[in-house]
Parts: sequence; structure tokens; C-alpha cells
Amino acid sequence: MVPRSTIYHSSSSTNTSTEVDPVVTCTDVSRHFTRGSSHSGWFSRSSQSAEIVTALSNISLSVTRGEFVGLAGPSGSGKSTLLHLLAALDTPSTGSVALAGRQTNTLSTRQRTKLRLDHVGIVFQHFHLLPSLSARANVATPLIELGYSRRQRRQRATELLANVGLDDRVHHTPGELSGGEQQRVAVARALATDPDLVIADEPTGELDTTTGKRVLDVLAAVATDRAVIVASHDPQVLDRVDRVIRLRDGHRQKVDETT
Amino acid sequence: MLLITVSGVALGMASQNAVQSDDVDYWVVPEGGNLNTIAVSTGGPQLGDTHRLTDRLQSDTRVEYATPVLLQVVPVQSSTRNDPEYVLFIGVIVPETSQPVIAGQPTDALQAGDPYFANGTYNGTWTGEAVINPAAADVLNVSAADPIEPVESTPESLHVQSVSDEEFQTGVGVAPIALVHLSELQAMSGSTTDDAADQLLVSTNDPSVRNELASLYPNTTVVTRTGIATQQVSTSSLPVAMAVAALVIAVLIGVLFTATMMGLEVTHDRSALATLTALGYSERSLAVLVVTETMSLAVLGGLLGVGLGVAGILITNAAVAATLDVPSLAVLHPALFGYGFSVALCIGIVAAPYPIWLSRRAEPLEVMRQ
Repeated sequence: MVPRSTIYHSSSSTNTSTEVDPVVTCTDVSRHFTRGSSHSGWFSRSSQSAEIVTALSNISLSVTRGEFVGLAGPSGSGKSTLLHLLAALDTPSTGSVALAGRQTNTLSTRQRTKLRLDHVGIVFQHFHLLPSLSARANVATPLIELGYSRRQRRQRATELLANVGLDDRVHHTPGELSGGEQQRVAVARALATDPDLVIADEPTGELDTTTGKRVLDVLAAVATDRAVIVASHDPQVLDRVDRVIRLRDGHRQKVDETT
Repeated sequence: MLLITVSGVALGMASQNAVQSDDVDYWVVPEGGNLNTIAVSTGGPQLGDTHRLTDRLQSDTRVEYATPVLLQVVPVQSSTRNDPEYVLFIGVIVPETSQPVIAGQPTDALQAGDPYFANGTYNGTWTGEAVINPAAADVLNVSAADPIEPVESTPESLHVQSVSDEEFQTGVGVAPIALVHLSELQAMSGSTTDDAADQLLVSTNDPSVRNELASLYPNTTVVTRTGIATQQVSTSSLPVAMAVAALVIAVLIGVLFTATMMGLEVTHDRSALATLTALGYSERSLAVLVVTETMSLAVLGGLLGVGLGVAGILITNAAVAATLDVPSLAVLHPALFGYGFSVALCIGIVAAPYPIWLSRRAEPLEVMRQ
């Protein structure tokens, strides 16, 4: 598969033009965190100096619809931080992230929340399904916020569960589902709003090889008409994606194009 | 529970009230007195020259009837009881044109008017008529036509004209009462000098009478039917204090309990709230979820509290009946249900901001990092 996106590092200045409007683009993105406190507490006379930690440094990338992109790297390399920025869960310290054509760092928290609702689906490593709700109710959860009627929600959720092979688990609660089934419910929930971008953070991290493969099959199928970005250590995942962006210490190392 | 039970007791205490009568629209009471002084009215501020002013009111075509009410607790002996029993005597002037029920006792058994008070003096015909309630008949062991004898000196004796079917409920149970002519009770109690009475009941359909009533006596209060409940409660400091204390404590405990429970709940659901935020739920939607949960908890608490409060009232009444031989102390008024439920809703509203504030601290990045 020929990548339809441009991935580049700002320091390399080897930009390639895109053929299709990207779903998400980040340009010269850095993210710094402050460790410790720079001011005295109410009961403390001494001032502790703050330490600036750089989680990401000058990362630029662009992902278009139809791409299945992997983020790889050791723990602490900045994979999750980059995912958070791409999903508009966080904003960069410097640089910019454009999601569905909107610069996330210019948006308020409320606007970014709405942007996520409309354009982003998230699959968590630990599923984070609501334990008291059935699989169908979990999948339908984002649709409530979009104002779907009860009938529409049930219909859409049932369809999505059927698409991930769980049409016989519609009424089961997460506690009654296996790990792989829970993760497929989470994928179905991420797709409920028909997002342009699906973000998955270690989606197979809690699953065995066989179950993880089934989840990957679902994500690969999803990527045919939307952008999917997966952060993972799992070689099985990285073998399935179109491209792998490898990070180390917050810097991009290289891009592997696997197809 | 505390709120309903204590309010029921306070209501019961406050309902030792003014003498009620059919169709009475106004009560004229001395300003220094109050409407719940039946048992302790002796020595309190009184109205004077009551016969003349009643005649004046009766001559007003707007007034259906008017009667002064004198309340006196009188020790009474009967032929079958050696020891005197205390009976609350209620002296009234029976209207010529109607026979209202006063303090639950029908006046039709008494002669119309006030025969002993003739031409402004107390030398008319002594009727000796008394209408007593079943409680008085029981304590005196008398029935219709039996004589009863006040211990204090009276010009003539009394006899039971009839025994009514209606009891006279006070906040602490049923009181034995006897309805007699005003002038005869004045003669028994030595109130003839000033022609005294404790209250003036007026029945009318014309609200303009109120101004007339207000001009009758200086330093009196005219209470309307709608205002009597307020007057009853507001003039009694102990029941009001009890009710207010119960309200404050109930609201305080309720708000602290609800806020704490919801705080624990939101903390427990922090991951779910953060997940919803990550999925795109707005702060407003999460606030609606939290408020719904808080109000549900408050409503459930209110229903439980009202139920337990009703049980508390029943238990209180059963306890005082068993220990003090008083049939009832607390009143189970239907308004208490609405009151308890309203307070529960207020508790929910007051407690809601804390869990909302906690819910807004749930960061979506928390679940991503887990």
C-alpha cells in the first residue's frame, strides 16, 4: 500500500506534499511537563525548583483517511503523549496540531471535547467500558451526547456490535465478556460516532495473541475509510499497520513502511 | 425522620389552638395573648364589655353570628365522684339565628342567647345548661340530665344538657370540656365585673367586617381563618423553636450526608467520568448526570425519611400513650409529607455543587495513562 500521507521530522526539512487532505496533522510539536513545584506551599517556606521534562520534541506528521499507522517505541518514548495530542485530549507546548482542519491549541477545553465527540474515536488499553451497562449500551454511550433517539442508538449499536462479531453478546455486561470481546466492544464504541480518526493505545496489551489478532483484524477493517493510529509495543500490531513511526526519548527515530 | 417526627410533635403542640367553630372567619384576641392558651388562659389578657360589643356586631347585617368565648378550667364534682375533676369550661353566647358547633360541641342543646345576662346585669334566668364531650362524661361519670357541681361557689347548680359525640383534641390528647352560657361561666369564675372573655369569634362573608373588628378594641389582634395556622404556630415559641431546630439539623445533616455520599460516589466513578469526557461528554452533560444522581439520592432519602418520620410519629404517640396516658402528642398532618419531600429536594440542590465540582476534576488523560 502506498502511503497517502506525509511523515516528516521538522529538523530534516524534507517535507513531501500531501495528495489528500489529512485528518490530523502535527507540525513541530513539542510537549513539556513541569515536575515539582516552582512556588512555596502555604505551610512551606522553601521554594522548590521546577524541573521541565520534555516528552516530545519537534514532531511533525500527517495522517489521512484510509491510513493505518503505528506508533512504536519503548516506554517513556512519548507514544502516549503524541496520541493524546493527536486526539485533542491535550495541547502542545509548542507547535500545532490540526484535527479535522481545526488547530487544537486555539480551542477551549469545551471546544476540544466537542471536536473529539465529532471526529475522534478512542480505544483504551484497559477498555474502560462502563461495568453496569450492557455491551450495546456501552457502544451507544457517545450517541447520547450526539442527541440520537433511543431507537437510533440501539439500532446503531447493534449494527456496530455485529460488525465486530459480537451480535450474540449485545446484552452482556463487560463482566460477562472475555478480554478480547471487551476490546471489540470498545472498538465498536469508538466507531459509534463514525469518527474520522480512531486512536488506540496498546489495544492488544491486555490480550493473548489469538484474541489480539481478532482485534487487529477489526481495526484494519476500520482503517479502510478512516485514519487509525495505534500505539503499541506489540510486533504483531506493528506488522499489520501501513507505517510505523518509531519514537525514542520524544524524538522520531524513523518511519517504517510495511506495505 | 427527625424532621418529620419533631415537626409532627411541634405541630401537635402548636395545635392546642383557638376555639374553632363552624364558619368562623375572624378571631379577635388580645394582643398580649395568643391562640393556644386554652389551658393557661386564666390570668392572661382578656377582652371586656363583651356582651355589648357582641350585640353591636350581631346588629350588623354583614355578620352571620358573633360570640365571645371565655375559657376557664374549673374543678367539678359529680354525684358519683368524690374527688373533683378539672374540666375546661367554654362560655359562649348562643346565636339566635343559628346553632354553630363551637369547639366541636353543638350549641343547639343550649338556649339561644345568654339568658342569665339580662338587661346588662347578671340576674336573669340561670339555665345551668352544659353540653359536655365524651371525655368529660367519662371523667365525671355522668350522662345527660345528671347534675354537676363546680367546686367553687356558683349562684346555681349545673346539669348536663347533653353529651356530644365530638371530642376536643389538643396537642396532648383529648381534653374534657363543657360548653356553657357565657354569663354563667363569668359568674362561676368571677369575671362579671368587666364582662370578660378571652376571644371573640365572628362569622361573616364580608371581608370589610375586619376593619370594624379591629376598631372594637385597642391592642387586639384580628386573625383570619387563613392566618390562624400561622398565628397558632408563630405565637408559640417552643413548637416553632423545635420545628426550626429540626429543620436546620435535618438540612445540615442531609446536605453533609448527601454531599459526602455523592463525593464518594463520584470519586469511585472518577474513571468512568474521565472516560466519558475522553469520549466527548461535555462538562454540562456530566453535571446533569451527577445532579440526576444527587437528586435521586435526595429523593430516595426523602421518601425513606418521610416513611421513618411517620413511623417515628406513630411510635412517639404510642410511647406517650403508654407512659403518660395521653392519646397523642404528635400530629400526622398530610402537609408533613410534602414538607419532608420538599426539604429533601432542597437538600439535593444544596448538596449538588460539591459532586459537580469533583466530577470536573476527572481528567480524561487519567484513563489514558492507566
